[in-house]
Amino acid sequence: MTTSDPSIHPQRTAAGATPPEGGPDAHEEQATAELLRQRIASQFGRSLHIRTLDTGSCAACEQEIRLLTAPHYDLHRLGFFFTPAPRHADLLMVTGPMIRAFDIAARKTYDAMPGPKIVVATGACALGGVYQPDAFVHGSVGGVLPADVWIPGCPPSPLALLHGLLVAVDRLAEKVAGLSFASDDRAGEGLQ
Amino acid sequence: MTAVQPGASGTLASLIGAISGASLAETGSTVTVKVPAAELEGAVHHLAAAGARLADLFAAGQDPTVLRLVWALDAERQYLVMQSDVSGQEYPPLSDVAPAAFAEECEIYEQFGIRPASGKPLNRVALPPHAGPDFPRLGHQPPQAPAEIHAPHTVGGHAFEFPFGPVRQVGVESLYYGLVTSGEEIVDLYLFTWHKHRGLEWRLRGQAPRDALFHVERTEGLSAIAVSWAFAAAVEAALGVAPPPAAQRTRAVALELERLYNHAAATAALCQATGLTVGQSAAEIALERLLRLNAAAFGHRYLFGVMDVGGVRRAPEEAALRAGLRGARSELRRAADALASTNSFLDRLEAAGIVTGEQARRLGLVGPVARAAGLAIDARKDQPAQPYLEFPPAVAIRGSGDVLARFQVMQDEAAESVRLIGDLLDAGAGAGTASLPGAGGSGLGWAESSRGEALAWVALDADGRISRARLRPASVRNWRGFDDACRSQNVFTDIPIIEASFWLTVAGTAR
Amino acid sequence: MTLWFLRGLRRGVVTTRYPARPDDSAADLPTPPVFRAEDLDQALADRLVAVCPSHALRRDADALVFDVGACTACGRCQEAAPGAVTSSGEFELAATSRGHLVKRIPLRREARA
Repeated sequence: MTTSDPSIHPQRTAAGATPPEGGPDAHEEQATAELLRQRIASQFGRSLHIRTLDTGSCAACEQEIRLLTAPHYDLHRLGFFFTPAPRHADLLMVTGPMIRAFDIAARKTYDAMPGPKIVVATGACALGGVYQPDAFVHGSVGGVLPADVWIPGCPPSPLALLHGLLVAVDRLAEKVAGLSFASDDRAGEGLQ
Repeated sequence: MTAVQPGASGTLASLIGAISGASLAETGSTVTVKVPAAELEGAVHHLAAAGARLADLFAAGQDPTVLRLVWALDAERQYLVMQSDVSGQEYPPLSDVAPAAFAEECEIYEQFGIRPASGKPLNRVALPPHAGPDFPRLGHQPPQAPAEIHAPHTVGGHAFEFPFGPVRQVGVESLYYGLVTSGEEIVDLYLFTWHKHRGLEWRLRGQAPRDALFHVERTEGLSAIAVSWAFAAAVEAALGVAPPPAAQRTRAVALELERLYNHAAATAALCQATGLTVGQSAAEIALERLLRLNAAAFGHRYLFGVMDVGGVRRAPEEAALRAGLRGARSELRRAADALASTNSFLDRLEAAGIVTGEQARRLGLVGPVARAAGLAIDARKDQPAQPYLEFPPAVAIRGSGDVLARFQVMQDEAAESVRLIGDLLDAGAGAGTASLPGAGGSGLGWAESSRGEALAWVALDADGRISRARLRPASVRNWRGFDDACRSQNVFTDIPIIEASFWLTVAGTAR
Repeated sequence: MTLWFLRGLRRGVVTTRYPARPDDSAADLPTPPVFRAEDLDQALADRLVAVCPSHALRRDADALVFDVGACTACGRCQEAAPGAVTSSGEFELAATSRGHLVKRIPLRREARA
C-alpha cells in the first residue's frame, strides 16, 4: 500500500510540509499556511476542544463525526475533545451548505467562541459542492464564516476527519497541496 | 395487536359507490381516484371511517392547484391516490377528519397559498420566517403569513416555555425545540425545522430523473437507499418500467444493510442518552463494522450511488458481504443481548416515551414507532413490490409502545434483515438497469426505510423531465408523534432517550 | 457491570493506529478521480463537466478545472470515461487553503485522431 515516496502514497505522516506545486499564487498561499501553522502550534498547545455546527446537512456528516469518539477512532487519544459550549471551544466543525435561514444561529455560535479559534469546513456541502448558491442556501460555509481548514468528502470518513483535524493543528502536514490529480508527464505543463 | 379495519372486500369499491363524480385510473398497483372538490370531505370521511391510513397529503400545480392524498389500504395491499382540483384558495377541512394531515396542511399553505376552509390557524412549518414574495415556492405565496408560534395550549398551574436550539449537543443535527414545562415535567413540545429547509422538491423540477437521484439520495443521507428507491419506483411507475429481477434483489440487499446500520446507530444513541458508555461503545463497534461492510459491498459507507432509475448502478461484492455480515451481525447481537441483561439500562427505557396504538393510528405514524405500539404496518409486507413479494419479511410487533418496545423491535428487525440478505444473495443480486422511454406520466413509489415507510410521487412532462417531485421520507410522518411521546410522565432527561428511540432526522423532514 | 467488563476484555482493542500507521479500511473508501491529461481533449472535458452533479468539474480555455473540495467521489465522471478517469485512492485531502483543492489539468491541444 505504501511506497518510499510519502508525498504520493497515503497514510504516512510527512516529516515536513510537502512543497506545493501548481496553481497561481502558490508561494503566497504557502506563506499564509505557514503562518497559520505557527500560530496554531504556539497558541493551542497539545489539546483542542471541538464544537460542531450543522448548517443544513443530510445527516451523514454528523454520523461520521459522532464516530470520532467511537472505539475504532477514539479521538481522545489524539488530544481532541468535543464540547457543547462554544465558549469552551477552540475549533468549529461546520457541516452543510449554510442554509440562509441558519445564518444568525451560525454567527452567534462562531461569535460566542473566544479567539484564537479555527473553523473547519467539513464535507462537500460546506466546501461549495452539492448545492449551488440560491435563495435557500449560500452554497458553502464561506458565505458566512471564515474557514481555515477544508475537509472534502461526502461524507468525509472518520479517517479523513482525523486527518483534517490534525492538519488543523499542524500535527500532520498537508498533503493535498502537492497532489495534481492528473497522471502522465504532461500534467506538469501549464501549472505555474 | 390490531390491523386496520377493512370495509368488506372493497374499500375502494364502496368509496367509488359513495362519491358521486369520482373516476378511477390504475397505474400498476396504485389506483388514482379523481374526486370533485365538493365531494372531498365526504370521501375523506369514508376512508377514515373504513380505517384506511393517510400516508401523505401534498399539492401540485397552480391554477388549479391539485391536492393529492395518498391512502394506504393496507388490508387490500394497495395505495390509493385521491386527487382533487382546488380552484380558489380553500378546500375542505381535512385534518378535522384525519389529524394525520395537519402538518401537511400547514406546508401546503406555505407553498401553494391554499388552506382548509375551517379557518383553523395554521403554523409555520416548512419555510423560514424571512420567506417573502420572491422566495422560491412550489405554487402561490399565501395571502397571509402563517402563525409564528405554536397553537395555544392550556396548562393547569404554572408553566413556562423555553426555546432550545437549533444548535444543540455536539454531533447531532440542528433542531429547534419549544419546550413547555412546569419545571421538570414536559407539558408540551413543538419543533421548528425550517432552518434546515434546502428546497429539495423545488430543486428537482426540470431535472431528468437519473440526474435527480444525486440530490434525492441526499434528502436524508441516512435513508439514501430508501428515499432513492421510493423516487426511482415512482418514476418507474410513471413510465411503466420494471427493473430486472437481479437488480431488484440488489436494491433489497442495500435497503436491509441500511436498516441494519441505522438500528445499530439508534442502539448506540440510546446507550449514550442513558449514560451507559460501555453499551454505547459496544454498539458503535457494531455500527462501524456495518459501515465498513457497506463500503466493502457497495463502495460507500452510506450506500450513496447504488440506486439507479430502472435498476441499480452496481452489484454488491458478494464474497466480502457474506464474509463481513456474520461478524458484524454477532457484534450487534452481543451488544443487544448484554443490554437486555442490564437493568439500569432497561429501567430507563421501560414506560418512557409511550406512544399508544391509538395515537399511532390517529397520527398516521409508520415504522418501528408504529410497530412498537402494536400496529402491524410494514410497506415490505403491506404493499409488496419485488423482491419482497418473493422474500416477505417477518414483521416485528410489540404492544407497550414505549422506548423499550422500539428498542426490541429494532433488534428483531436487525436479525430479520440479516436473514433476508442471505436469501437475496442466494437468489442472485446483480447490476443492471431497464431502459427508460422518454415519455411523461405520474406515479407513486415507496420503500420501507429503517424509520418507516418512505413515499415519493413524481410527475414527468412530455420530455421525461420532472414537473413535480414529492419526497416524503418517514421522518415527515413521525416527528409529529414525538410531541405525544414526550408529554405526560416524561421529564427532560427522557427527551434524548425518546429521540434516539424514534431515530428520525431533521434533514428528512425539512428537506 | 461484570458482564460488560468481561465482554470488553474479550473483545479487545479495535482502535485504529492512524495516523501513526496506515489503516486498511481506507482501501474501500470512495475517493476523488485522477484524470489522464493525455486523453483530455475539449470534447471529453465538456462531457465530464456536464456529467458532474456537484459542479466539481469546470472549464477554462485550456484546462479542465477540478475542484477536489466540491467532489463527492460519486464516480459518474469515471463511468463516463473509464480509461481516462480512474480513482485516486487518496482520502487525506484536508487543506489549509481553499485554492489547494482546485487543480488545473491542461487539455490536449488537438482532438485524438
